[in-house]
Formats: sequence, structure tokens, C-alpha cells
Amino acid sequence: MKIAMNILQALILILGAPLVGGIIARIKARLQKRQGASIWRPYSGLVKLLRKEDLVPPTSSAVFRLAPILLFGTTASVAAFVPVLQPTALLASWGDFFLLVYLLALGRFFLSLGALDGGSSFGGMGASREALVSSLAEAPFLLGLVAVAILASRADIAGIVGWTLQQNVFNISAVHILAFISLSMVILAETGRMPVDNPATHLELTMIHEGMVLEYSGPSLALIEWASAIKLHAMLALLIALFAPWGMTPAGLGWGAAVALLLYGAKVAILMVLLGVVESAVAKLRMYLVPEFLGVASAVSALAVIFTMLAKR
Amino acid sequence: MGLVGMATGKVLSSFSVFLFLTILLLAVARRVSTSVLLFSLQSAVITAEVFATGFQERLAGAYVVAALVFLIKVVAIPRAFFLLSRRLKTSNDVKASTTPTQSVFIAAAMIYLSYAAVHSYGQAVHVPDDALAAAVALILTGAFLMVSRKKALMQILGLLVLENGIFLAALITTFGMPLVIEIGIFFDILMGLLLMGIFTFRIRDTFEHLDVSKLRRLRG
Repeated sequence: MKIAMNILQALILILGAPLVGGIIARIKARLQKRQGASIWRPYSGLVKLLRKEDLVPPTSSAVFRLAPILLFGTTASVAAFVPVLQPTALLASWGDFFLLVYLLALGRFFLSLGALDGGSSFGGMGASREALVSSLAEAPFLLGLVAVAILASRADIAGIVGWTLQQNVFNISAVHILAFISLSMVILAETGRMPVDNPATHLELTMIHEGMVLEYSGPSLALIEWASAIKLHAMLALLIALFAPWGMTPAGLGWGAAVALLLYGAKVAILMVLLGVVESAVAKLRMYLVPEFLGVASAVSALAVIFTMLAKR
Repeated sequence: MGLVGMATGKVLSSFSVFLFLTILLLAVARRVSTSVLLFSLQSAVITAEVFATGFQERLAGAYVVAALVFLIKVVAIPRAFFLLSRRLKTSNDVKASTTPTQSVFIAAAMIYLSYAAVHSYGQAVHVPDDALAAAVALILTGAFLMVSRKKALMQILGLLVLENGIFLAALITTFGMPLVIEIGIFFDILMGLLLMGIFTFRIRDTFEHLDVSKLRRLRG
């Protein structure tokens, strides 16, 4: 029973990811008074890419071909760490939140390598920018998770979620608010969303993620796009699991699970609308202002860790 | 009673978190208009705090004070600020002498410092640590805003944040001052704001900018 739910959770995160991307694009389009594409468009995009030929630059090595597969693998295993419907996950007993952070980092490392191996100048530029952003985002990401973990005195994500479920909904603490803020900022940077990177443009001067995938085509590109969609969905689910897990059921398949799924959908919908509003309202930061953005996130998350000692609540 | 009582209890126990948030956001704000909005938000949190204290301690005067705080600090002063900056026709930039990252680290350090400072005192007089620390942190941040922002408007705002801190400290240690004194203080703030507003106009007219770091020489 538990295993079935765990597999269902991972499948929701992995197969639902393109839908989340499509809905966010639709929300943004509506906010900007455009009609917008169908919310199912990312699926047809993936299908189209999977049927196409995979073109590889003649100068590239095996790393170029391996990178998308490794990226997809690490991102999918990250998705299997995040609880969605019940306070446990498929790989929950296999590692703690450090593993989650560094699995993401591993995927990014290989994507950067692949971009460098592709041989185009934009790939190198995108890779160096990605390295900058991810090295700066790593500290606040870890510190924010550490703060929540200290409160729960657990290191595995499922344990933290289980602890949070037992708390009173209204009993918000400073640590949770500060950690939520810093983690949301980090997630914007990690998933390449608006104030840090613009996911909708191919403008040379600004692109980070799009610059790295410029040389990829066909099934490889499909894997990369899918992986970044999974990453966004898994990060949103992580926010929900850490800060608002109420509604999750330990009961297994049944009515409880259906209610949990509905509640999860509602929470993700709220986050998607928020993301759409932020992306439409905020201008992209200049590259030199990104360290400041992440510096603020670091300070907030450091404060969250300090507050775990001050406020024993 | 039950629900309202619970809500006031929540306000009293968690409002300081929101005050810390406004402090951190004030440290990173790059525009004068954002800072003014944050000040307004901060005053709204303090209004809720006054209201909750009045409800819990059954002080009728507190409701009057809450209404005054709301009218003056949440509505009137921000409006006056927007009017002032429109009339002055200056840029919206706060002209910070520290980068946002430095500012937010300094603000975080000040929050920690205020916790350390009030810890023993709070235990001696039985007031919650968080609230008192928030008050001290507001005072420190106000002073920090005054020294680190070069625009004259931001120095007025820093003073107002500082005043918010003093008001909050009075509220949580003694449940607010007598109503007459409270009204006197509000009158003081309004007069001060008026004077400083006139003064910024004089600075602008004489020097053609509002950057206080450049006020080095006398002009007749």
C-alpha cells in the first residue's frame, strides 16, 4: 500500500511537471492580456522533440550525450525524495536533505559540462553563469533547510514533514517564515525563474539556462526540458511539504489520498499563481545584481538558523 | 470571545516576526516609495499590536491610541511622504552607502544584538523576549537607516522607524503611556514631519539636490 502511494507520488511529480509549466505559462499569458497556449502544450512539445533526430556537434565527446541522461536521472531521483500525498516518499529512507541538495547540484554540474562540451560560445557563457548562480544559491538553500531540520530535530525530509504535520496550523514561528522566504528566493534562482533568469527568452545577453541548452536537439533536449520542469514541480512540492503539509494522509490509498491530492492541487495552484504574478511584475535583475539577491537570501536563512536557538517554540 | 481572544493571542505572540520582516525588507529596499510602504506596513502591525494589548488588558484608551496610530502612521504620514516626494521632483532612489547585501547582514546582526541585549532584562520584568527585541531592533534599524541613506527623505523615515521602536517599547513594558501623553507624542511627530518637510524643501532649493553627504559648505 505504502509503496503504491510512494510510486504514485513520484509519478505525480514527474508526469505532472510539464502540466505545471504549461499552467504557469498560461497564467502569465493571461496576466499579460494574451490568449496563451494550451496548458497541455509542453507535453506535445516533448513528444515532438522525442520523435526528432538527435544532432550532435562533431567536436563534442561522450559527455555531451551523457549529460541530459544524468540530469534527468538525478532530477527524477530528487522528485522521489519529496513527499506529496503522505509524509513519506519512495527514497525517503535513502538519504537526508543534503543528498537532495547535492543531487540537484550533480545534475547541474553535468548540464554545465555538456554545455561546455557543445563547443558554442553561448554554452560556455551560460555554464559559467549557471556555476556562479548555483554556487551562490547553495549556501542559503542548505541553511534554510538546516533551520527547519533543527526545529524538527530530523535530517530526512519525510521526518521533517511528519514533525510539521503534528504542529498546530496557527503556531507559526519566526524560523518557518524566514526559512520560507529564503527558500522561495533560492528556488527562483535554482529553477531559473524570473528575477534571476528569464525562461521565455533567447536573448544572448541575459540567458543562463537557455544558453546552456542551445546546442541540444531532439530527445536530448526533451530530456533536459522535462528535467527542468520536474525540478520546478519538485521544488514547489518541497515548499508545500516543508511549510504547509496539512492534509497529507498516512492512511494509504483511498478517500484520504483523494482529499490529499485535491489539497495538494489547490496548494500548487496558489504557488503557481504567485509565481505567475511575480514573474509578470518583476523585471529581470542585471547579472551583477544576482549575487545581491542571493546574498539577501543567505542573510535571511542565516537569521533563520540563529532564530532556532533564540526562539525555542 | 473565544475566537477573538485566540486571534489577539496570536497577534501578540507572532507580530514581532512581521516586524523583523519589515526591518529586513527596509534594509534591502532601493526605492523611497517602497520604504514608505514598508513603514506603513510596519505601523499597521503595531496598530494590531496596540489593539490586541487593549483587548487583553481591557484598556479602553488603547482603542483610541490604536485608531490614532492607524490614522497618523498608516495613512497620513505615508500620504504626506508621497506628496512630499512628488513636490520635490527628486529621483526615487534611496542613495544607500551600503549594498543591499551588506545592509541586510547588518540588519540581521542588529536583530541578533537586540535579542542578546534584552534577554536578561526581559526575564527580570516578565515581558516577552521577542516583543522587546523587536522594539530595540526597530530603534537600531531606524538609526542605521539614518546614517546609511544619503537622501534627506530617508533620514526622516529613519527617525519615524526609530520612533515606532520607542512607541513599541513603551507599549510592551508599561501597556502604553497615558492617553494625553500619547496624543502629545503624535502631535510632536506631525510637527516634526512638517518641519523636516519644509527643511527638505530648503535643502533642495539651496543645493538643488537632497544628498546629505554633499552638504559640505555653507551657501548664503
